[in-house]
Amino acid sequence: MMESLSILYGALPYLLKGSLVTIAVVIGAMLLGLVVGISIAVGQVYGGKWLHRLASVYIWFFRGVPLLVLLFLFYFGLCSFLNINLSAFTVSIIVLGLITSAYQSQIFRGAIMSLPEGQMKAARALGMSDRKAVMLIILPQALRLSIPGWSNEYSIVLKDSAVTYALGVAEIMARAHFVASRTYEQLPLYFAAGVMFLILTYLGTKGLRILENKVRISGYSS
Amino acid sequence: MADNTPTLRIENMTKWYGDNEVLKDASLSINKGELKVLMGPSGGGKSTFLQCINFLVKPDRGRIWLDGTEIVRARKKEIYNYRQKVGMIFQDFNLFDHLSALHNVRIALVRVKGMSKGEAQDRAILELDRVGLKSYMHQYPAELSGGQKQRVSIARALAMDPEIMLLDEPTSALDPELISEVLDVIRDVRSGGMTMIMSTHQIGFASEMADEFVFLEDGSIVETGPPEKILYKAQYARTREFCSKITELYGNSFS
Repeated sequence: MMESLSILYGALPYLLKGSLVTIAVVIGAMLLGLVVGISIAVGQVYGGKWLHRLASVYIWFFRGVPLLVLLFLFYFGLCSFLNINLSAFTVSIIVLGLITSAYQSQIFRGAIMSLPEGQMKAARALGMSDRKAVMLIILPQALRLSIPGWSNEYSIVLKDSAVTYALGVAEIMARAHFVASRTYEQLPLYFAAGVMFLILTYLGTKGLRILENKVRISGYSS
Repeated sequence: MADNTPTLRIENMTKWYGDNEVLKDASLSINKGELKVLMGPSGGGKSTFLQCINFLVKPDRGRIWLDGTEIVRARKKEIYNYRQKVGMIFQDFNLFDHLSALHNVRIALVRVKGMSKGEAQDRAILELDRVGLKSYMHQYPAELSGGQKQRVSIARALAMDPEIMLLDEPTSALDPELISEVLDVIRDVRSGGMTMIMSTHQIGFASEMADEFVFLEDGSIVETGPPEKILYKAQYARTREFCSKITELYGNSFS
């Protein structure tokens, strides 16, 4: 027992470094998902039929194919096929980001559609172009409403990021696995990995909750 | 009027929703400083007509001239410029919910008209003061009463220096005790010489203020004329019936 603990203690700095990699992958993926997701949502709500169909195919694809398949497809398949040299770390961010963008787009779309139609009308009536109206009036409100859903998506992406160990990204899971298979102390190490994910989930959702309160519009209750 | 060009001229405005023709060849012309009131039963096309005038609803047919210049709908920039000159007041206010009263009035001055923030701020405060809400400028829409919201929306429209204002039942969504504060502001704007087209059921207020009543039913302009004529000597039975009912309901100012 004591021996297990001392091995775990010794491995802790190594695991914590892994959590930094996990955090980097998740933040990168969430931000990519944010930018792509918003674009898809705006395209779906205000774009034409053609754009709507394109978005549907995109969402269908990235929600339908398993994460592990996409990671292998992009890293081992596409990268060598296109002869581009991307690190496993970069590919993980891209793949997780594209997947979450499909889900995030639906969070944003729902939020945009929940806004009263009059918001857009009033913006147009003041002479705003559609682009300005979306940027200045629609998105600031829709994004506020999206924070709870986005927080949910964050915890999913965080957990999904463990799968990137299959590409050899040195995140929490990969490092726990590496130490465990060398020391045969599976239980404490995987337990520690689990706890680290729990802590990261807690910190992230807590942070987003604080953000939600901070940007809450005066006079609205919830 | 030295020059006879109407401020706004609308010809043969037509709008279909599917198989339903909600606006039929509506034509209207309004001179500087005039107030025309659209009347008629709900669903008669008043709101569609007003929203077609600044292209918030795309008319299927119809031409518009502002100060004698036709608005070419195919040019987006031209529409954006035109809309800046046409203030719009909505039944349900449509203040931007995430912005304070001050920022509601200021945002288009900065982001559409390109004013500096300081200049826009001064103008916004001036307009809020004009509608009696200077002390509420930091409140958000959710913290304002319906009457206050509508007054902010009037300030927001006025700040753009419009040549004409369209008011789409500006008091219909208000509690009865809040109606008069909004009507007072409209009266004030009117006495400042603003050209306006307004739809309303406030018959007393309308007959006191309007130069002309325009009676719309089933998407057609049935009858137009000075308030007294439409109210008491309307040509069509339907207009007479509507006017007597609504006078009974809201009272009139001639008595």
